[in-house]
Amino acid sequence: MEFAEFYESTRDDCLRIVLLNVGDRHLAHDLVAEAYTRAWMSWRKVRELEVPRAWVVRTALNTHVSWWRRRRREVTLGNHDIAMPAEQASAVSGDLLAVLRRLPARQREVVTLRLLLDLDTETTARVLGIAPGTVGAHLHKAVATLRAAIPSHDSQEISK
Amino acid sequence: MKANDTVAVVRDSLTTAKDSLAGVHMNTPPDAIARNGRARRRWHRLTGLTGAMAVMAGTALAVTALAPSGHTASQSGHPASHPRTAQLAAWTVAKQANGDIKVTIRQLSDPSGLQSTLRADGVPASVTFLGQQDLSCRLYPMTQALFKNIYQAQNAAGSGNTILVIHPSALPSGAGVQIGAALGQQVGDRGLQQADGNQIVHQPVHQVAAGARNVALRVGLVYASQQCTGS
Repeated sequence: MEFAEFYESTRDDCLRIVLLNVGDRHLAHDLVAEAYTRAWMSWRKVRELEVPRAWVVRTALNTHVSWWRRRRREVTLGNHDIAMPAEQASAVSGDLLAVLRRLPARQREVVTLRLLLDLDTETTARVLGIAPGTVGAHLHKAVATLRAAIPSHDSQEISK
Repeated sequence: MKANDTVAVVRDSLTTAKDSLAGVHMNTPPDAIARNGRARRRWHRLTGLTGAMAVMAGTALAVTALAPSGHTASQSGHPASHPRTAQLAAWTVAKQANGDIKVTIRQLSDPSGLQSTLRADGVPASVTFLGQQDLSCRLYPMTQALFKNIYQAQNAAGSGNTILVIHPSALPSGAGVQIGAALGQQVGDRGLQQADGNQIVHQPVHQVAAGARNVALRVGLVYASQQCTGS
């Protein structure tokens, strides 16, 4: 696959997934652009990966973590985790996404790969370089935390 | 509720949230990604460094360039004093569907790369971040109204980055854009202001180091010429 074809077919989905994780449209756009730039520079290697779009999303999110750690050490200029426009996030998803953004990094990665990129456990484990059982453990903890942010009437309906 | 049901509920909720972003698109064209990649490769070749070494060198260069005393940039900075972490590209350029050029600036580094990228997008441009003026350039008379027609500048939400949108169609015939750094300027939190004749200083940006809080992005107009703006 050529880079342009890959970019065209994956860019919107990757942007939306990163946006869900960081909550700021400008920042998400910049992070994804940066990740694709790195993908372009290493395309021979990236194209051979099992799931290149997972590499892009992980790179964007890792760049965000690195960038945020560095910024915290220097000068506080504001909070990036506030800015998803109200019209784009319902109250329910707003609560859920706030919890998602507060998850430990590894749990958030697992949720992103398993539930947003829809990878299976084995593929997620290979992408992250961890055991499938570890993926399951992270997912279990993360889902329990996220579930608490979803209104209870859903669970009542499903439990019937 | 079974564990699988719980996963399904969370998956459905996250999918719904993602679907609600259907109107959000990555509007950077693939050519812009490739251009940024090429510019960075050129930068790596130019410095003779690759990978993490290049990131460190870029950091040192940026910090030196941002020093309020106006030091000439060189690679003799002190990278060891700066965190060795991955960072975003110093800048990105994206051509919009309507022909506008969106420049996001995070660090005042690689001005020649930014200049060549803007020129490749059809914008006659002169970019100098390091305190030196391009002597081949002559300032073009600027007014506040003209400025507002050509430039739209804003801080990206909470990030301290500056987003500069250039409307090339509003450039007067024979004029080109000039982007530079205003070192040692105290511009406070105001938006745009007139300064130094025809130059406009934008609000403080690139507060990368504690000692560099009075650095601002300076944008203006110059007479277009082959030597100054490339066309």
